[in-house]
Amino acid sequence: MKRGLGGAVIVVVLLFATLFPVLWTLLSSFKTLKDIVTPVPTLLFQPTWQNYADVLATPSVQHGLTNSAIVVGCSLGVGMLLGVPAAYALVRHAPQLKSDVLFYVLSLRFMPPVAIAIPFIVIYTDLGINDTRFSLILTYCLTTISTIIWLGVPAFEQVPREIEEAASLEGYTEFEVFRKVALPVAIPSLIGAILFTFVIVWNELLIALSLTSQNFTLPVVAASFTTMGMEVPWGIINASTILLALPPFLFIGVIMRFLNRFFRAAH
Amino acid sequence: MKLKSIGLQVSIAALALAAFATGARAADNECVGKVPTIRVIAQPILTIPFLDKNKGEFETKWNTKVDIQQFGENERRAKSRLDASQGAGAYQVYYIDEANVAEFATNKWVLPLLDLMPKEWDWNDFLEGRRAVATYKDVAYFAPFEGGGDVMMYRKDLLAAKGLQPPKNLDELKKVVAALNDPPNVYGWSERGRRGSGMNVWRWTPFFRGMGGQWFSGDKPTFNSDIGVKATQYYLDLLKFAPPGSGTNTWSEVIEGFRGGQVALIVESDVFGPWAEDKTKSRIAGKVGYAPPPEPLPSAGFAHGFAISTKGNPTDCSKTVAADFVAWSTSKDMEARKVKAGILSDFARKSTLENPDFKAQVNPDYIKALLDTAPKTDLLIWKSPLWPEVGDDLGLQLEEVLTGSQTDIKQALDDAADQASEAIKRAAGQ
Amino acid sequence: MNAANPRAEPFGKLWSHVGFARLALGPPLALLVLMSLPPTIGALLLAFRNVSLMSPGSRWVGFANFARMLTDRRLHNALRISLVWEVVTVAGAVAVAVLLGVLIFETVKGRARDVICLALILPILLPRVSAGLIWRFMYSPLMGIMKYPLQLVGVPPVEYLSQPGTALYAVAVVDIWQWGLFFAVIMLKLLETLPASPLEAARLDYASTWGVHWFVSLPMLRPALITMLFVKAVESLRSFDLIYTMTNGGPGIATETLDLYAYQTGIGMSGRISYAAAMSVLLLILSTLAFSVLWKRSQRWSE
Repeated sequence: MKRGLGGAVIVVVLLFATLFPVLWTLLSSFKTLKDIVTPVPTLLFQPTWQNYADVLATPSVQHGLTNSAIVVGCSLGVGMLLGVPAAYALVRHAPQLKSDVLFYVLSLRFMPPVAIAIPFIVIYTDLGINDTRFSLILTYCLTTISTIIWLGVPAFEQVPREIEEAASLEGYTEFEVFRKVALPVAIPSLIGAILFTFVIVWNELLIALSLTSQNFTLPVVAASFTTMGMEVPWGIINASTILLALPPFLFIGVIMRFLNRFFRAAH
Repeated sequence: MKLKSIGLQVSIAALALAAFATGARAADNECVGKVPTIRVIAQPILTIPFLDKNKGEFETKWNTKVDIQQFGENERRAKSRLDASQGAGAYQVYYIDEANVAEFATNKWVLPLLDLMPKEWDWNDFLEGRRAVATYKDVAYFAPFEGGGDVMMYRKDLLAAKGLQPPKNLDELKKVVAALNDPPNVYGWSERGRRGSGMNVWRWTPFFRGMGGQWFSGDKPTFNSDIGVKATQYYLDLLKFAPPGSGTNTWSEVIEGFRGGQVALIVESDVFGPWAEDKTKSRIAGKVGYAPPPEPLPSAGFAHGFAISTKGNPTDCSKTVAADFVAWSTSKDMEARKVKAGILSDFARKSTLENPDFKAQVNPDYIKALLDTAPKTDLLIWKSPLWPEVGDDLGLQLEEVLTGSQTDIKQALDDAADQASEAIKRAAGQ
Repeated sequence: MNAANPRAEPFGKLWSHVGFARLALGPPLALLVLMSLPPTIGALLLAFRNVSLMSPGSRWVGFANFARMLTDRRLHNALRISLVWEVVTVAGAVAVAVLLGVLIFETVKGRARDVICLALILPILLPRVSAGLIWRFMYSPLMGIMKYPLQLVGVPPVEYLSQPGTALYAVAVVDIWQWGLFFAVIMLKLLETLPASPLEAARLDYASTWGVHWFVSLPMLRPALITMLFVKAVESLRSFDLIYTMTNGGPGIATETLDLYAYQTGIGMSGRISYAAAMSVLLLILSTLAFSVLWKRSQRWSE
């Protein structure tokens, strides 16, 4: 019990240290520029909502949010639909291909985006779909499918082979074994994979910056707040950081609840 | 403050009426309603949010949606270049500045401006310095709404406390800065160290040019001359009196350090003058003195403005509307309204300097320093499409010198000169 | 069973008919090849020309771009920096994940654990550019909060980001802060999936809790940990946004990784897209070589 208490103290201290930047951001988002740019940090100040008002008044925030939600939602959806069964099939039905496919999938992310951005622009312009959500979704599917396959394989490897075999003996089709037996067991780990994929696509900047002018995503908006034009609006940067982190935070909160409910049900 | 905002509202109402009047004229124009959207790429200087707030009147006039997209300076340059060079044409109006006007003009990515502007827009009302920057090979390409030269800004109170006079030449500059330096309470000086043609190179250039340096002799780079070394050494010496971390300062750190009260004297772009006087953001408002940069430093002129995209305007109507947007956003009225709204750093017209509102709001010392500096203001960089590349390579070498990873100044400049020669050769071979 | 179950899904039937494996593997792999091959070939073609965004027209230049790399000091530096960045961020993030994950697993239970998990995920959700800028501000020797504790004890402010020796590590801290904490949550979830009995047994054998994890639970999680390592290693190749906002590669070229240099060359200031493509091809080849060696190793390991 004693050790537990000491450990808890350590955890709290660690948490404070790790979350301090976020808290400091939150605090700064309510400050005026004068209170932010000081030699001695101010803890007592007249709070202001102005920074938030400024961010929310920017039309590109809403636009970017819609685009991000659609683009990330679709590419993640396609990624799951195609990636999860593929990962399972690699583990159970085509283990001889597993190693090669996995490495191929990993290698898709070796090339720096700078080099492929220009060919993508040329190809999409020829097809008449440059600067559309569709072309961005297509491009991101490359990331989502490959990452979900990559992370899905270990998730399915954890599933005990015996229960699948038992199900087959009972006459389940291959598809049913996958959907009714393997998938439920692998889901907790799969959710980690999906979370990870989500984070990567949600934060992707360079491709979005290069491929879009009208259908830009939230990271591009964040970049427009944070990169420098003239005056660096530190207050607005802090407020936009908090605001732009909220939607994925809520999304993840929902997923975590689901995850926990699942764990409780399982044990 | 109240009074000012009432005045602002009155003037907006008046201008809305005026816009309505011109709107009636536009209604005759066949292009009304023909162009659903014009997209403008910009970077967040004070003018832009102001235009964004007031774009409704323009949208009503043409029945066109105006979409102003903001990026940081470097992203804005990169993004507009990508758009123009790949022929994507997503933007109808580009934001152009001194660093890329040559590149955009040479490649015909922007249209010559003056044919498309109405007469009452009055090109001759723009300050000479701004017009010079916006012009490439005798053709004007962008309509400036911001720009300036250099000014020396110093803390009157700190100089007085030490019984010092503002420095008149470079010897005095070093002495005054050394005398003011009292770390960690206050540092004597600050300067841009961060690499980039618009960063450290921009501030280093007046020293180089002031000492008599020239960029090129024919096709041969000469900025690695003895003068180049001397200028770099001087710039490096001053860094000793700057706050820690200055070796990678952007202008933001320079200005925030100064108006946060931690730096005593800077030579910077004059647009930052009003920033130091902004009581809501500055801790030293009212304590700042202004003077021309010490001799023999010239003043580095620059300008930012809007230009009309070639690829982005395939139809005559889109050209018309884009041109009218440029004219509207850089008109005399617009400048007056910006002054009314308290935006004192972004202006490009002579009429604004005469504007009583402007005079009433701006520190008279500052205006005097601007006028005294004006004769020294010139475009000091090398006006060539290759400048962004050459300037950036030089900036990298300078940053290495300023942060101590390269101790041989001559070698650093030689490297930059080699890269410049190579860039020229490459461009010629294409 | 199928016959007994009239509601057997028609879809399921189709799947078993064509062959589940083919249907599950065919479309995704086809799409991946279709989407990745054209741009890769496009990049390869670019690498052998002299395309510049600044001027129209280009021609075939053979291996000139690659030959130029041999003498490009900045490129050699970028390769070195990229390597250091890879090692530091991958090792750092995984180490933080394991330590913090085990610590929380051992000390916090119930709802508090859920709250902590949510909190630890927070940093990774901040847009990378924003996170970079916030840290840059905190590091600032003039205005940043990080200098304040030092100042209280009379130590002069440290120029974290403008000293060539510290800048890369100062940026890496932010990367580890974002990814390490996120991985800690994943680590925790992985520990939760472990069956309880071997752990209980091990607790009797080893004196310390850390011993239990070092000798029992970590080996059990080895495949998952290796996957995590690879994922982070690939992700670390994309250091662009963080470094770009925090130091832009500086001071000098002390934090200029290969993808940042390629960006600056290709899309940033100079617009020499062909040279940037050549660098990217180099990075592709080097990564493929390095990762395939590691991959073979790890395959042998996990077995």
